[in-house]
Amino acid sequence: MLFENRKQLSTLLLPAIVVLGLLTAYPIISVVYNAFLSVDIGSGQHHFVGMANFAELFDDFFFVTAIQNTLLFTVVASTAQVLLGLVLALLFHRNFPGRRFALPVIIYPMMISTLVCSSIWRSWYHYDFGFLNAAFVSVGLPPQEWLFNPDFALYAIAIVDTWQWTPMAFLIILAGLQSVPKDISDAAMVDGATGWKSTLYITLPLIQKQILLAFLLRSIDTFKLFDKVYVMTGGGPGNATETLSMFVYKYGFRFFDLGMASASSLVMLAISLAMTLIYAKRVMKGGKQ
Amino acid sequence: MFRKAIIASVILATTPMVNASELVIAGRDSSYGEAMEFIVSEYNKLQPETKVTLVKRPSKGLYESLVLSMREQTGNYDVILMDDTWSTEFLTNKWLAPLSKAVEDKDFVQATFDIGRYPDVKGSAYAMPMVGNVAMFAWNRAEFAKYGLSQPTSWTDVLNSAKKISESSDTNGVVFRGVKGNPIVTGFLPILWGYGADVVDQDGHSTLNSPAAKKALDTFLAMKQYAPKGVDVYNADEVRESLQKGTTAMAIEVWPAWVPNLDNAEVSNVVGDIELMAPPAEVGAPAPMLGIWQLAVPADSDNKQAAESFIKFATSSAIQKALALDYGMPPTRNSVYFDKDVVSKYRWYPQQAKALASGKARPRIHNWAEVESILGDYLQLAMMGQMSAEQALEQAHARIDRIVKS
Repeated sequence: MLFENRKQLSTLLLPAIVVLGLLTAYPIISVVYNAFLSVDIGSGQHHFVGMANFAELFDDFFFVTAIQNTLLFTVVASTAQVLLGLVLALLFHRNFPGRRFALPVIIYPMMISTLVCSSIWRSWYHYDFGFLNAAFVSVGLPPQEWLFNPDFALYAIAIVDTWQWTPMAFLIILAGLQSVPKDISDAAMVDGATGWKSTLYITLPLIQKQILLAFLLRSIDTFKLFDKVYVMTGGGPGNATETLSMFVYKYGFRFFDLGMASASSLVMLAISLAMTLIYAKRVMKGGKQ
Repeated sequence: MFRKAIIASVILATTPMVNASELVIAGRDSSYGEAMEFIVSEYNKLQPETKVTLVKRPSKGLYESLVLSMREQTGNYDVILMDDTWSTEFLTNKWLAPLSKAVEDKDFVQATFDIGRYPDVKGSAYAMPMVGNVAMFAWNRAEFAKYGLSQPTSWTDVLNSAKKISESSDTNGVVFRGVKGNPIVTGFLPILWGYGADVVDQDGHSTLNSPAAKKALDTFLAMKQYAPKGVDVYNADEVRESLQKGTTAMAIEVWPAWVPNLDNAEVSNVVGDIELMAPPAEVGAPAPMLGIWQLAVPADSDNKQAAESFIKFATSSAIQKALALDYGMPPTRNSVYFDKDVVSKYRWYPQQAKALASGKARPRIHNWAEVESILGDYLQLAMMGQMSAEQALEQAHARIDRIVKS
């Protein structure tokens, strides 16, 4: 046994528990408390308003749209990233000429600062001077309204996020593929399962946990979408790319309205918690199998 | 109490520690930061015994730092650089210290100095103007000459000229910042004011539902058809680029920092063609928007006297001339605007001085940031055609009135 008695165990764990308590529990309690208050940051005065902040939030067209946009972005971007990551991982699981050189190129976008890559893509998306429209025009296609078409702007940002973060999903799934014992695929081959059948019925079920993990991590990250929107569209055009993080930031740090910022943070926390629990349950279930 | 301790420790962790005899200045990064570094080095030559520490932050980060620091009375900063739109909030919360009568100087462009007084232009000075930003209207003389058009004097002229130019050529008629929030609002305000309307009245009540405001928004929305495609997400870079490349003939709002490159042959296709002026007015006199960056002393500073002495130095005519010539910082003193060295470098300075003198500050309400954000949201919905002008103004009016009253 590592520890001689419970007292020793408690003494050693106490500092970590205190630090975690201060850094995690305090902000959460504070956010829950503030969500039911109206706070005047200038005078420091606050008063209890009950559910008024939540009522105002759900009455706010911009907040409701921010929830819809955030969920849509999370589903589209994380699905695209995991699917592409899976395809790439299956490709890179085999040997092919140039594999060693292609691998760093694939991973490279993940290493660029998000603000830098958002600025680069913003200029690529420019209608008149952008690289993408120049490429489209050069092959006879019409220029596209990438960022200022309200029906497409969110997807344009999802493309950038997918470009940057597919490598993460790819690495997780590739690690899973490499942990599959070779004798299983050899046995499948002996039984006559080859090519896509072997992948579909043997390999994919074996890496299900890694795929779910990639989904979980990418969903949590895409749900927090902030920096790309901040740099590329500012939440516009209209409210087409307004996200929950942008909304919370606006109320918390632009207006210093702690009541509304805390209430919207709580809604955000509740949604992400529900999402995480669903994934976690599935991952645990996969683990038991 | 515990929250105060956490906020104070965050601020302390990001601020260099200094003792009481030192001055700590909270300033901006980029060109403003370089200009401030120059001021600090010059000040150190005169006052070698005073150690000055400059903390540079991006504009939004600076605002957050200042609010947190002054609210918690940390005394971290002795001098702060602030946008004039922040000052009402800081002053109503009593976060700034009054400056002595000695800072008053008739050489300052009156409008830029008065913006630092509180509670009104007769009150004490709480801030001194360091950077004299003013929004000007730009038009391409060569393009106008091509179509026999003359200098626009009203927003109707702007609209008609934009129509003529865009329908007769590939050149766009007019450009503005369309990104929601501050950019689209600063693009719209000169038009709103030009129609004699405003966001709030003197009592702080929203007036956006007035017929004049509706006319102003109709004009603004009508301009979109003569603007470059994608103007809805245009910010400063795109506006500058389209003016510099000569793809657009007019810009509603041009700030002094954008101007030097218009005459720089290395990056501009319109050298000598762009004329600047105070924005047109539909009724009354033009009202160019002020965007003054001010220096002030927080009420919690322990070095108020030394801080005021630094501010006086930083806004002196010698420093302002050097900042204008070497860093392109628009001055706030008349003597610098008409200095022959400065005018020979910046041909548009006399017009800029005129615009500054007749400049108008954005509404002096303590929650302007929120008001601006709400108005920006609705303006963009109207711009995207998701709401009519009337609906956008009515809804913005209702929300702004509610938060201004609260």
